[in-house]
Amino acid sequence: MTTGESTQIRTYPTALAFCITSFFWMGVATFMGLLGATFLIAPDLANNVSWLFFGRVRPVHVNMVLFGFVTPGLLATAFYYLPKVLDTELYSEKLGVTTVLLWNVVLVAAVGSLLAGHSQGREYAELVWPVDIGIVIVFLMVFVNMIMTVKHRREPILYVSVWYACAAVVLTSVTFSLGNVIWKPDTGALTGIPDAILLWFYGHNIFGLLLTPLSAGVAYYVIPRVVKSPLYSHTLSLLGFWSLIVIYTHIGTHHLLQVPVPTWLKVISIVDSVAMVIPVMAFLINIWYTAKGKLGAIHEDIGAKFVFTGTIMYFFVSIQGSMMALPVVQRITHFNNWVVAHAHIGVLGFAGMIALGGMYYILPRVSGKPLYSRLLADLQYWMVLIGMIGFTVVLTIVGLIQGNAWYNGETVYRVLPELQYYYVTRAMLGLLIFSSAVIGLYNGVRTLLSKPGEAVS
Amino acid sequence: MKMTPAAVIIGSLLLLAAIVLVVVYVPWATRHDAPSEIFRSRSDLEAEGRLIYIANGCVYCHSQSIRTIDWGHGAERIAQAGDYVSDQPILLGSQRTGPDLSQEGGEHPDDWHIAHFINPRYTRPNSIMPEVAFLGEDKLQALTAYIQSLGMTDADQRMQRQIYWKKAATDAYEAGPDENVKWLSENIPQGWRDLPNPYPTTDAGLARGHLIYQQFCIGCHGPVGDGMGPAQPWLYPPPLNFTILKNREISGGILYYQIMNGITGTAMPYFKRELESEKIWDVGNYVAVYFIDDSDANAEPHGIDAAYEPGDVNR
Ligand code: HEC
Ligand code: HEC
Ligand code: HEM
Repeated sequence: MTTGESTQIRTYPTALAFCITSFFWMGVATFMGLLGATFLIAPDLANNVSWLFFGRVRPVHVNMVLFGFVTPGLLATAFYYLPKVLDTELYSEKLGVTTVLLWNVVLVAAVGSLLAGHSQGREYAELVWPVDIGIVIVFLMVFVNMIMTVKHRREPILYVSVWYACAAVVLTSVTFSLGNVIWKPDTGALTGIPDAILLWFYGHNIFGLLLTPLSAGVAYYVIPRVVKSPLYSHTLSLLGFWSLIVIYTHIGTHHLLQVPVPTWLKVISIVDSVAMVIPVMAFLINIWYTAKGKLGAIHEDIGAKFVFTGTIMYFFVSIQGSMMALPVVQRITHFNNWVVAHAHIGVLGFAGMIALGGMYYILPRVSGKPLYSRLLADLQYWMVLIGMIGFTVVLTIVGLIQGNAWYNGETVYRVLPELQYYYVTRAMLGLLIFSSAVIGLYNGVRTLLSKPGEAVS
Repeated sequence: MKMTPAAVIIGSLLLLAAIVLVVVYVPWATRHDAPSEIFRSRSDLEAEGRLIYIANGCVYCHSQSIRTIDWGHGAERIAQAGDYVSDQPILLGSQRTGPDLSQEGGEHPDDWHIAHFINPRYTRPNSIMPEVAFLGEDKLQALTAYIQSLGMTDADQRMQRQIYWKKAATDAYEAGPDENVKWLSENIPQGWRDLPNPYPTTDAGLARGHLIYQQFCIGCHGPVGDGMGPAQPWLYPPPLNFTILKNREISGGILYYQIMNGITGTAMPYFKRELESEKIWDVGNYVAVYFIDDSDANAEPHGIDAAYEPGDVNR
């Protein structure tokens, strides 16, 4: 790292507020997931209550994971590292804290509207127009704060984490507005096949232009800090950043390979899904070589431990993803729980792990108090890890059963009993993950309520 | 390369703009929005039902996208771009927790759907679909109208067939058990009516039949075969009471044919997609033995026995 950081003790109310937001909504989001998993084994448990209908609970789960837990968690760390690596203060903590408050209002509105049955019915773009606008506004507020901080920097060179954070926020404001067809408030959709193409361009970029770059930014900050070495390669940073933006953004059609969309578009998406190894490996090699020989330091720091595990999951989810974009593979894996397994490796194993890692890394630093319990943090680490790997195993099995049975001509109904026990296991793993969220929240709150100790930084 | 703020922000925005142009705008600008040969627009009621479908997230469990490799509902008609030209939003879906619904219209008569929405386990005992009764009668009507429109003009044809035979079945049912059973049997090809069940009754076969009955039939025909399963209040004509079939010349062939083919116009679905031949014989014989109390299993003529059948080696 090239920055000379000033040693005076600062406070970071924005980062802290994002931390609390993320810890809290992780609890809500994973609870909703657990609820959905339970309904798949005991459908009558919802007892005819409209807002407990599976089709309403599921989008709450997904949206709260994305916009309640992971994104705020990653932004928390960004709001900590930006002033550090730019050697300045955050442009406006007041603006930052206002952003977080508004962010939470938007989240509450999102949950309420979805449960009440106000949905636009497009995956990752369900939220109704006023909530969409709220999301765009908070993203723009974050962006203003970031770019003004960059402007007032004392460190001339922009560290790679800064590129990722700024690009993620500004690009997502754009793709979110496009993907939610924000100029059509009533339906929030185009018509016919172009709607599917636009939706998956956007849906894919929620992972590619929001979660991935924000996570990369955190990893690029935390890992070199903890192992106390400079980043392995500036060239790889450049390659990883630009190739991510060029390649990840245009392969969304791999979600539509079995749909009548133009063939040329499918070909591009398949070929460049394989080319995704370039940005993925550029980033991973850079991080892993930086940490080479220093895994002890990573193991010691709970934040870095989460983050480093997240990078390993990024490797797995991406290699798997490239495979899943091949039509022969997708014949079996599409439309079933294989994809759900993939989604959890990506969003929980990679982005979620890194969000948690970043927060554990900054929590003592932004609150000026030592972490309440390292033991509980380790416990959460193992619970998330076991839960997530358990999900992967169980849901991949379910997906293979479904995919192969259908391919051989079995009807969906006939296959249901074969899935029951896996769904039960899945719900139990969900309970594990939800419990880990509760533990994390408890640990965070206890840290904040403890008596002021020595600032760690 | 020097990464200035302008390089990061403007550079990535320009790249994004170029990519949107190629992978979103060009497909949009070159789209073919000619309707396909089965296309028709939706009625007001159907459109209202579609909004209910969207509001309740049916799309998370049901796709509307038939692929070349599919076998189930709608496999006769692979999806075309022209099927979706009025869909805003398009509801392709990404999970098949339940079956694809592209061609669901007319698969069942309306009363089957209402019973199914009240509680899916009434018509489909193993279902994991949640109940939708909370919507109330009016919304369920609209939702059903939408579901029955899926498949557009293909669905309309199936619906016409359902409506035609619904009337015949209702008339027969209202004319009393004698007439009803006569009507049911007379629509079956003669060859099937003359055919006894060629396989002997065995304990294993009855056990299999019992299991299948519980997984597929019990919600309508009821645990004791009297047609009083939980779906009964919503179905008309109601599920058949098997106990009235005694001494009415119900052959194994009749039972097999009805289970395989279903009775279009009534809630009785066809099972030829879900049950292989042995399973249909087994559940039919289970019904015959336990509920009708009269089975022609293994009666003459039955041809050369299948290899595993018990009994005389010379048969
Ligand atoms: C939790 C996932 C889930 C949700 C949500 C769901 N379904 Fe289902 N659906 C299923 C499953 C599983 C089946 C197959 C078993 C059955 O027929 O009940 C099914 C079957 C169906 C069928 C019958 C298909 C056939 O066999 O002919 C219809 C129609 C249907 N669903 C409509 C709907 C509608 C309308 C909604 C929204 C109100 C909905 N479903 C929501 C899972 C779901
Ligand atoms: C959704 C409800 C429903 C389900 C499920 C159902 N049935 Fe039926 N079944 C009916 C109705 C309704 C009729 C016709 C009543 C009429 O027309 O009087 C019928 C008729 C029949 C008949 C016709 C008898 C004859 O004499 O022609 C047979 C046999 C039968 N069902 C067997 C089964 C079996 C076996 C299963 C399970 C594999 C099954 N049914 C599942 C509703 C159902
Ligand atoms: C980088 C290489 C990756 C490739 C090539 C890739 C490829 C794919 C493909 C082809 C699908 C569609 C599967 C189908 O519907 O049959 C998919 C789905 C998905 N991917 Fe990835 N993936 C990659 C990385 C990631 C990452 C890093 C994340 C998370 C941060 C992620 C999250 C998801 C999610 C959530 C879905 C489910 C979408 C849905 O709702 O249907 N993927 N991926």
